[in-house]
Amino acid sequence: MAHSDLAVVGAGPAGMAAAVTAAEAGLSVTLLDEQPRPGGQIYRDVDRAAARRGDILGADFTVGVRLTGALAQPGVAHVPGATVWAIEAGWRLLYTRDGRAAEVTADRVILATGAMERPMPLPGWTLPGVMTAGAGQILLKQSGLVPREAVLVGCGPLLYLVAAQMVRAGVPPRALVETQTKAELIAAFRHAGGALRNGPALAKGLGLIAEIAGAGIDRHTGATDIAIDGEGQAEAVRFRAGGRVHRIPARTVLLHHGVVPNTQAARSLGIAHRWDHGQHCFAPVLDGWGETERAGLFIAGDGAGIAGAKAAEAAGRLAALQAGRQAGRLSRGQRDRQAAPLRAALSRERALRPFLDAAYPPHAPALRPPDATVVCRCEEVTAGDIRRYATLGCTGPNQAKAFGRAGMGPCQGRYCGLTVTALLAEANRQSPEATGYYRIRPPLKPVTLGELAAMDAPARDAAE
Amino acid sequence: MDWDYAIIGGGVVGLSVAWGLLRRDLRVAVIDGDDGAFRASRGNFGLVWVQSKGMNEPRYARWSQRSAAAWAGFAEELAERTGRSVGLEQNGGYDLHFSEETLAATVAKYEELKERLDGDYPFEVLGHNALRKEEPAIGPTVVGAILHHQDGHANPLNLLMALADDVRRMGGRVLTGKTVTEVTKPDGFRVACSDGTQVAAGKIVLSAGLGAAQLGPRLGFRAPVRPQRGQVLITEKLPKMINRPSLIARQVDEGGIQIGATNEEVGLDDGVTQPGLSHLAAEAIAAYPALARAQLVRSWGALRVLSPDGLPIYQESAEMPGAYLVTCHSGITLAAAHALTLPDWLESTGAAPDLEAFSEARFAVS
Repeated sequence: MAHSDLAVVGAGPAGMAAAVTAAEAGLSVTLLDEQPRPGGQIYRDVDRAAARRGDILGADFTVGVRLTGALAQPGVAHVPGATVWAIEAGWRLLYTRDGRAAEVTADRVILATGAMERPMPLPGWTLPGVMTAGAGQILLKQSGLVPREAVLVGCGPLLYLVAAQMVRAGVPPRALVETQTKAELIAAFRHAGGALRNGPALAKGLGLIAEIAGAGIDRHTGATDIAIDGEGQAEAVRFRAGGRVHRIPARTVLLHHGVVPNTQAARSLGIAHRWDHGQHCFAPVLDGWGETERAGLFIAGDGAGIAGAKAAEAAGRLAALQAGRQAGRLSRGQRDRQAAPLRAALSRERALRPFLDAAYPPHAPALRPPDATVVCRCEEVTAGDIRRYATLGCTGPNQAKAFGRAGMGPCQGRYCGLTVTALLAEANRQSPEATGYYRIRPPLKPVTLGELAAMDAPARDAAE
Repeated sequence: MDWDYAIIGGGVVGLSVAWGLLRRDLRVAVIDGDDGAFRASRGNFGLVWVQSKGMNEPRYARWSQRSAAAWAGFAEELAERTGRSVGLEQNGGYDLHFSEETLAATVAKYEELKERLDGDYPFEVLGHNALRKEEPAIGPTVVGAILHHQDGHANPLNLLMALADDVRRMGGRVLTGKTVTEVTKPDGFRVACSDGTQVAAGKIVLSAGLGAAQLGPRLGFRAPVRPQRGQVLITEKLPKMINRPSLIARQVDEGGIQIGATNEEVGLDDGVTQPGLSHLAAEAIAAYPALARAQLVRSWGALRVLSPDGLPIYQESAEMPGAYLVTCHSGITLAAAHALTLPDWLESTGAAPDLEAFSEARFAVS
């Protein structure tokens, strides 16, 4: 059984930076990651994709090779293809790799499980041909596949980035159906001061929009009443914008209205979460180093609140420095000297968020969808079902789960959790915080009974 | 008086009793906890089970049999009234054995109990080959099973929902998210909650599961209940592979295989542990080897509500007459009895069952 000073879960920017920083401080580090190659979602497969498709994916993507390259050092044991399905206090991390269950123990843990796209339950969103913009982008990063004549629906920086990358790949989308309104953009300008502290990021965003406009792609903003039509397959996007109803034929629809922290692992450990009103999501309660209420357990990167890849990198390093300090490998002075520029970078990156959060808020009708819309895809539970469970006395999502199976499927509630909380909060006239969230239990990812049973102590002894 | 009964605890036990009282045109309020409360009703295994119950107390075996026999009518009535099926199947259930010795020892005990029950204990012993005919997926290390024909299973969550639905439909008032802080009896009963809610009722039923341990003594009960953790697993949905349920595994009506359960004395910790999950997985695979390839999609821990001897407690308070403690470990099995028979005891009708065996007198210090 392997033991490390530090275990890091997730090899995106936060996890890679944390692993490298901790190793540089002299800690032994095990970096567990689900993907076969490091990079996380943002720098997915960057080592190979940067060389092949760097021109399409852009410099903000290829910069990831700096982080993946640094992993190659003796202090970091990078375990790719490792799906962590349980974390127990103490700390034990249980994972599956190549069809076998294994465990790592560690004195400290940094969770760097990143963000996930906010589900966008619109009428018709479960039709084949509809996927998230992030999923569409992963196809591009990993396989170079670009859907033809796609319509992008939603809002936010990633929507523009994916559109621009499709343009560069020579397969431009047919249209962008954007949900944010001019009023929201204008209101966002009260946060312009913070945004201007991060001028380069703002300039990049404007550059993407110019690139899309330059390619002659239709942009519809302030879209409402959005639905995807089709019989057994997406056929068109229908919506209202500019005072009239539009219907754009599309066999591929890419949805996106922001990303939210993936809090499943932290939730499974009972970490307290607070409702972030600006980002409309739950985020774990952390101290200035990213440490949770449970000593030795840190959370870094977008899993702690959405701030982007550069912020994630800084936060990963900060958590690693504190882990190094706690392990006695860094003096207080060493830690603080290295932390100072990281804190400045983190503050600069975070300064942009209030503007982005206000300018591109999640599409309100998709936060609380109409009754007929499915919210839990695994068990096909509709928004109307959840509202009915509220009338049957469900004050929170765990009772609703017992009644309607929402959140019981293979995704462990990742895709319906926030929607179910929002629907119950509205129906019971409670805050999301008071309504709460699913009690997350292992397995965080499905694992076979055979893999589990192989870890049974008596069985193992008998086999030996 | 606002209500004839205030029921403290809105799990399967409390709602079954509430449903039974409402059905007799009594006015009932149910006071229930919040989303995070310990809820055995949400975590139990779903068996409607007779075998192995009351090995040393035939009156418990009879009480379980009485409920199991009433279950079909109870399920049918609920389904008619709510349009919700509770997935009841009563085609028998197994006690699987991996050794001839444990099988023989259990059979001997069942024979003894059968005699004390005047022969009303319909079980048969299936050797490996006979069992394999019934359950083709059974593994080679299972030497045999006891098939008890009074056993079965249901969908406990659908039962909970059907009760929650019908109790409201019949005019029961369910107050959710409440914590009872005080019960007084100035005249009738007055139940006070932490948020200031007050409920006035003629009688009180305390069916608050583990919550009875704190609240019970203030109402004059001993309420010696303790938590015992059971960890449970459920797989992805699979084609039919298990016909009859056992204590090891059952295939639920949605298709998943539910695997249970540990028995752990760990206080109020309802977590799951890898050793617990691995042990259950290993046992289930020994029983049904094909399960090795099945994906685990969920696991949970839930806390059984156990009395010192594992039997239910039905007790009227001597200190506060009109207050009743109703608590048990087998809330699903006993749901039909609680709904259809217990109201007679609460209302002291001529049809009241003799529940003396389940009074708190048995816990008296001798």
